[in-house]
Amino acid sequence: MAISFEHVTYTYQAGTPLAQTAVQDVSFTVPDHGYLAIIGHTGSGKSTLIQQINALFKPTSGEIHVDDFTVTPTTTNTDLKPLRQHVGMVFQFPESQLFEETVRKDIAFGPQNFGMSEDDANALADEMLTRVGLDKSYAERSPFELSGGQMRRVAIAGVLAMQPQVLVLDEPTAGLDPQGRQAMMQLFERLHREQGLTIVLVTHQMEDVAEYAEQVAVMRDGKLVKFGQPQDVFADPQWLRENQLDVPRAAQFAQELGKRGVQWNKLPLTADQLADQLVARWPGEGADHV
Amino acid sequence: MANIIEVKHLSYKYDENQRPALKDVSFDVHAGEWLAIVGHNGSGKSTLAKSLDGLLPFTEGTVTVDGIQLTPETVWDVRSKIGMIFQNPDNQFVGATVEDDVAFGLENRQIPRADMLPRVQAAMEEVGMSEFAQREPSSLSGGQKQRVALAGIVAIAPDILILDEATSMLDPQGRSDMLKLVRQLRSSQQLTVISITHDIDEAAGADRILVIDDGQLIEEAQPATIFARGERLVDMGLDLPFTAKLKIALQKRGVTVPTAYQTTAEMEEWLWQSLSNT
Repeated sequence: MAISFEHVTYTYQAGTPLAQTAVQDVSFTVPDHGYLAIIGHTGSGKSTLIQQINALFKPTSGEIHVDDFTVTPTTTNTDLKPLRQHVGMVFQFPESQLFEETVRKDIAFGPQNFGMSEDDANALADEMLTRVGLDKSYAERSPFELSGGQMRRVAIAGVLAMQPQVLVLDEPTAGLDPQGRQAMMQLFERLHREQGLTIVLVTHQMEDVAEYAEQVAVMRDGKLVKFGQPQDVFADPQWLRENQLDVPRAAQFAQELGKRGVQWNKLPLTADQLADQLVARWPGEGADHV
Repeated sequence: MANIIEVKHLSYKYDENQRPALKDVSFDVHAGEWLAIVGHNGSGKSTLAKSLDGLLPFTEGTVTVDGIQLTPETVWDVRSKIGMIFQNPDNQFVGATVEDDVAFGLENRQIPRADMLPRVQAAMEEVGMSEFAQREPSSLSGGQKQRVALAGIVAIAPDILILDEATSMLDPQGRSDMLKLVRQLRSSQQLTVISITHDIDEAAGADRILVIDDGQLIEEAQPATIFARGERLVDMGLDLPFTAKLKIALQKRGVTVPTAYQTTAEMEEWLWQSLSNT
């Protein structure tokens, strides 16, 4: 498996009167090349959880395994460098972390920091630029004269240049327009499918969870309150609403039709899944006769 | 209905050598209406909003707000009629506490303290943030921050509220709370609302939608008309309404679907009828 959390608890300022537990006894596993979405209300512990995947926070108790790496409360920072290269983190609004004079230098910064020669890092930077959908003409430009969506791509290219096997994304599409959002989600899907990257996505967009995720983790008050396949997690709309979470539009729609007596084999979560099941029920042997 | 804003042949260039950000844009805003302005990133919609408030010196054309033509001399009179909320909640705080921040606009207008206190109090109540009066803005969630920004506007009671992608950085709960609040303020304060948005739900609530592309006004219609455009909505910087997505998915599978825009309830009815029609 790619990632496993075993009874992980994280307490801010542990051992002081200000101690506050943000993640409590969380256990789950993500298989190799998996795609996990983490959902939950603001303040539910999602961000604290994901920052433990590359040990920015070490667990207060419990153990975390990421491929061949193990992080425990006593792991020392010198042991963590290879893990940090293995797990790429894309924080919210990553474009705010751009700082170099040119796009190429910005992307090459990480690999050089990890000991790659300047020439190799620059070549890698150009390759990553293409991978995020920007052509080489951007390499010499200042990152600060690009549009918001382009800046974000450059920041993501910088993370990809570390050649991580696990990519952790914290609301990567917030603030983008729908077109930009879709292009960004398809980029991650491609990295997942073609490069075999394990993806961990923190999001408020239930449509994206329905469309892309293979597993869903629901956090509330620092606890993992639900974990499973999207179909199972979205099957109980009332429970989701109590947890201030949305149900994907297609599932809402299907559930409304369900109240009128339409029976679903498996709860449809996307427009395509819903259309498949509707067409199968269409009167007169299938849709060709409509 | 009277026009509260009239825009005639507005053009703007950020740089002499660049393409214009706005090209010959003309439209009216009716008093009391909710007007949505949509367009993809870089289409010129934010430039347009800033022009209305005198934040950008447009090169050609006229903007008239409540009978006052916008000029360098009248810009403060025009601004007193408009409240604006921007995308990033963190970029619009000046006060050290919520209360101070709401009071800022009144202080600028040199409102006596005795008048100011009840107005600040009332504004915070109106947006449901009274219990946060003494809090530091940095300790608030994004949605709460935008509500404080709204309170600052309620306090100065402008005629027009401009939302420049004001909900795009909020989580779904924060977004729907904010829209609900704006709707409520609109009726209690008789506001005219102009919202620049990518959000399909926000656009759906508007009386009218203007579509901007490449600095030009390319369409002006009611939401139902715009939403019937199907996949072209994506070029307009909007997402597809769910019913449009489902129609496209059904069409791909050989089902003949109605061409007019359907609300979720209408589409549910149509599907139910079609399925029962054996």
